[in-house]
Amino acid sequence: MNVVVCVKQIPDPAAPPALDPGTHNLVRSGKLILDDSDAYGVEMALQLVDAAGGGEVTLVSMAPNGETSGLRTALAMGAAKAILVSDETLAGSDALGTAKVLAAAIRRAEPDLVIAATESTDGYTGTTPVQVAELLGLPSVTFAKKVEVDGQTVKVERQTEAGYDEVTSPLPAVVTVTAGVVEPRYPSFKGIMAAKSKPVDTLTAADLGLDGSQVGVGGARQEIVSVVEAEARSAGEVVVDEGDAHERVIQFLEQLKIL
Amino acid sequence: MFEWSQEQQMVRDAVRRFVEAEIAPHVDALEHGDLPPYDIIRKLYATFGMDAVARDRFERQLARARSRRPGGGPGDRPEEAPPEKEGAGDGGAAAMTLIPIVELCRFCPGIVTAMGVSVGLAAGTIMKRGTPAQMERWGLDLLTFDKIGAWAITEPGSGSDALGGMLATARRDGEEYVLNGNKTFITNGPYADTIVFYAKLDDGSDTPVRDRQVLTFLLDRGMPGLEQSKPFRKMGLHSSPTGELFLSDVRVGRDRLLGETEEERDGGGRESAKDNFVTERAGVAAMALGVIEACLELSVAYARDRMLWGQPIGDRQLIQLKLAKMEVARLNVQNLVFRHIELSAAGKSLTLAEASAMKLYSAQAASEVAMEAVQLFGGNGYMAEYRVEQLARDAKVFQIYAGTDEIQVTHIAKDLLRR
Repeated sequence: MNVVVCVKQIPDPAAPPALDPGTHNLVRSGKLILDDSDAYGVEMALQLVDAAGGGEVTLVSMAPNGETSGLRTALAMGAAKAILVSDETLAGSDALGTAKVLAAAIRRAEPDLVIAATESTDGYTGTTPVQVAELLGLPSVTFAKKVEVDGQTVKVERQTEAGYDEVTSPLPAVVTVTAGVVEPRYPSFKGIMAAKSKPVDTLTAADLGLDGSQVGVGGARQEIVSVVEAEARSAGEVVVDEGDAHERVIQFLEQLKIL
Repeated sequence: MFEWSQEQQMVRDAVRRFVEAEIAPHVDALEHGDLPPYDIIRKLYATFGMDAVARDRFERQLARARSRRPGGGPGDRPEEAPPEKEGAGDGGAAAMTLIPIVELCRFCPGIVTAMGVSVGLAAGTIMKRGTPAQMERWGLDLLTFDKIGAWAITEPGSGSDALGGMLATARRDGEEYVLNGNKTFITNGPYADTIVFYAKLDDGSDTPVRDRQVLTFLLDRGMPGLEQSKPFRKMGLHSSPTGELFLSDVRVGRDRLLGETEEERDGGGRESAKDNFVTERAGVAAMALGVIEACLELSVAYARDRMLWGQPIGDRQLIQLKLAKMEVARLNVQNLVFRHIELSAAGKSLTLAEASAMKLYSAQAASEVAMEAVQLFGGNGYMAEYRVEQLARDAKVFQIYAGTDEIQVTHIAKDLLRR
């Protein structure tokens, strides 16, 4: 079974982030790392391929400046190869533009299953995976907390507010996985050594048949109009226990409709 | 080499993630709760495939040893292994060994000591001077950390003068030897499965004890007459159990004599002890780098956050001086470590004077940086919660073990004057 995992390479969240004052977009010119939320998808894919007894995991990513640092991390975990789309034309792409690029790249890999995180840790739109599914004409199942492949179908436990739904879908399909679906492995030293010689196929938008009217700033239908400081969090209420603290805590939780 | 390569950074980041997730939460139990470090070390080995790598390397070394003298009879032992090919050009094997050392020492230098003595000293000695049969019987399990090793040379009456002042004896008795003596300050002593034991040959002649031949033996836990003490209480390095060994009439066959011959090849037991000096000293520099990096990062963060008289203490020049000196130490020690990696990648090694100089400087730098970090943190620095006090206590041992500062000075000077 061949699985494609969509992975995003993002600025290190531990470093202070910067926004471009003109476009309000996140500055991505420095070193990028594998989005933590994608490590779960990579691990899930590796386990599914193992369970299927054959096949391989292919990474698909779009990033500026031919960046591969994050891809190498996922390759070191055990993915076999990567397709990277990197092109100046793509700067300023919105979620749909990104989805067009990823969908076109995924089509090349002809996967049995596409896995993505529910959302990226830098952009948080959470819309790209379903857009990819729509563009590919595939069913999509989101918020998976458990994934099993059985022959030509995928069985998913889909996280909901109340618990989870059991969903079955024919393959190929797009599945988004939540953090915690599996415990991502550490790359072994051998895996790290092997990662540098694994193939990364670097493509441009034109290679995928896309032009500046469909992707990048030109193709974007979404624009960040302004960015404002988040409101400072107001101080919480301190409950001093005079024998009735438990009642006041219960009242508080009832107000929040938690109880 | 002026920075870690991309690949080395990946190793560093992966180990750092492991250390922060798997070791940092247990530091209290390791340091104050008598939790032995061995299960954590085994998890580290399994997680990063270090056991598999060790097994592959062992097979290659064994094959080389056998090819030299088919049958692997007594006296046979491999010559110095050629430099590792893998990853050559960017430091290769040396970097892969040193990066985990640096990372572990940011939290827990004791773990590195426990690991280094078992794999580096105990297994290293067996793989360098043992017969193929001994390599198979004792070496492999130590290299993969399935078993724990100790390296027993120091005695109550002799530390720096370990070889000359050694009183432990190996008396010939037919085809066997009878071993007697006490060893102390033995890392992993309380838990070791395999012990590399140094003793003076007692052949009944009247050779003065100082000048007698030093033989090396391989002992197993639980042998009749061998007693392993409980761990000592120490100033620091609590994560590394240290103890005493007592041998009374321990009988061993020739199969336990390292190299299975008394014949002194390349200086025999005395040189066997010295074989490890260069590797060990370079390792201590990497340990020092980890401690310095951690202290510097903690100190910079504290200097930014800690407010006194309405401003961060980092605005004060006396604090700035401390930070600046720490950064100088970090750069110097890092450069020394990088130089060692570069040399290894080129198939060369440090001279004894260079290795000793590197160890002397790094040990003093780490000790000084860590004590200054405690000072910078003030009252908080004296409290365990802020971590720098542990690093300061741990760093002190760098100036004492693997050759004291004073011994390093004499090794540097002697090596220079001999040329």
